[in-house]
Amino acid sequence: MGESVAVAALNGLVVGASLALVAAGLSLLFGVLGILNFAQGDFFMLGAYAVWLALANGLGFWLGVAAAAVVVGIAGGLGLMAMLWPLRDRAHALVLLATLALSLILQQLASNVFGADAKPVAAPIDARIPIGSHDYPVYDLVVVAAAAIILAGGFVFLKYVRYGIWLRAVAQNQRMASVLGVPVFRVYALTFVISLGLAAVAGSLLAPLVSVYPTVGLDINLNAFIVVIAGGLGNFRGAAAIALALGVVEALGAIVIPGQAVQLVVFGFVIVLLIVRSQRQRVLVRL
Amino acid sequence: MLELEGLHSFYGRSHIIQGISMRVAPGEGVGLVGHNGVGKTTTLRSVMALGPRTRGRIAFEGRELRGAAHARARRGIGFVPDAEAVFADMTVEENIRTGALLGPRREHRRCLDTAYELFPVLGERRAQLGGTLSGGQQKMLSLARGLALRPRLIMVDEPSEGLMPINVDLIARALKRAVDEGTGVLVVDASFQLLKTVCSRVYVMKQGVITGEHDLDEFTTADRLVQTYLKGEAG
Repeated sequence: MGESVAVAALNGLVVGASLALVAAGLSLLFGVLGILNFAQGDFFMLGAYAVWLALANGLGFWLGVAAAAVVVGIAGGLGLMAMLWPLRDRAHALVLLATLALSLILQQLASNVFGADAKPVAAPIDARIPIGSHDYPVYDLVVVAAAAIILAGGFVFLKYVRYGIWLRAVAQNQRMASVLGVPVFRVYALTFVISLGLAAVAGSLLAPLVSVYPTVGLDINLNAFIVVIAGGLGNFRGAAAIALALGVVEALGAIVIPGQAVQLVVFGFVIVLLIVRSQRQRVLVRL
Repeated sequence: MLELEGLHSFYGRSHIIQGISMRVAPGEGVGLVGHNGVGKTTTLRSVMALGPRTRGRIAFEGRELRGAAHARARRGIGFVPDAEAVFADMTVEENIRTGALLGPRREHRRCLDTAYELFPVLGERRAQLGGTLSGGQQKMLSLARGLALRPRLIMVDEPSEGLMPINVDLIARALKRAVDEGTGVLVVDASFQLLKTVCSRVYVMKQGVITGEHDLDEFTTADRLVQTYLKGEAG
């Protein structure tokens, strides 16, 4: 039983780590620009296809991950910015509809170009380590470590690097940041690139675990939205922490609750989180 | 340094500023006084391109001011608004560094030292979140952050509003020091004590127009100044 719990917890960490990357990007985009991007999961999908393409062309797995981050991050980020920029002062519903439309377009394009079938992606590391009587894939642990490094890097960036500090400043008070000379437009562009780059990296890292197909980002998109809302909209660290917790809760819940019913545990966990957060908020208001 | 000629400002169809002209020279403190709602803050916001649609000439150091607020800030203009000027979830030090990061690395430390020298309480609270400071300390932080960047012109909106006299004195002395160091200061404020310390001239504003320009020496008491802008003409 102990081994099963340990393995389930590790599985939860793998799911939570990749979810944390997607949710952190989603949270960043909302925090800085107030944009809820329904297409975030589709950039996860594009990242997964980048790895599949890299392997199909003999370029290697890790080059695929790097290409996913750079190409999808920059091209996707700037493309999304160009699409949403004219809507920046319009009703939020228009932005939501635009990203929803983009999501459908990207899924259809992927289906037309690559086909609707799931494409397996081989993990770059075959080794396994024993955990009791289980042989656990080393690659899964690499995913957790990579996500942890990327998220820690993101934290350091936001806390100490010039553009990271500016990004937080713009998120809190765009007008005041502008008055201090902060190049707000460049900060916006960087936010789009980082946000979609994180989703693409998550997709590329998770490709060997989930296979690649046009709607692979749908589930993670839904979970990422749950995480971002429970972690606090615009809260980078909160999103990362809740994602990890959610992954572990779901995996451990699956031990005792079979099938899709485990989602009840997940949603129960989210409801408790929201109640706790709302009580903390009331205390803050009282102070 | 700063010259406004025939400046009109509009919020939608509301014609707030109606053709004002004024100037601020380097090393000069200038006050802008008048009732609430006459357009003083809108004047400062117009110079900084923060919202109102403008017509007329806004020139800085002989060249017309164009572009967004950040471009104007980079030309050497600082602006300290009256409210919501502090990044609430960033520490005091991060608040000051946000502007300082535009300059070379060696300037970052100098900016922090300048801010802490002007208002020692900020140095004591450097790791505290901006939003948890008292109202007076937040005013000090936003002014220190603006002055630490050594702008050639700084515009300050209601720096003494809601402050205890001792803090008004601190803020007045910080602005006076900037004037003495050659910075042009344009300040909107109702505190006679602060205006007397910082400014040599005041413009009186009423319903979107400048109704008078006076040397501060003309006023020996706060009452005389208030009478002047209540009437909208020299008292």
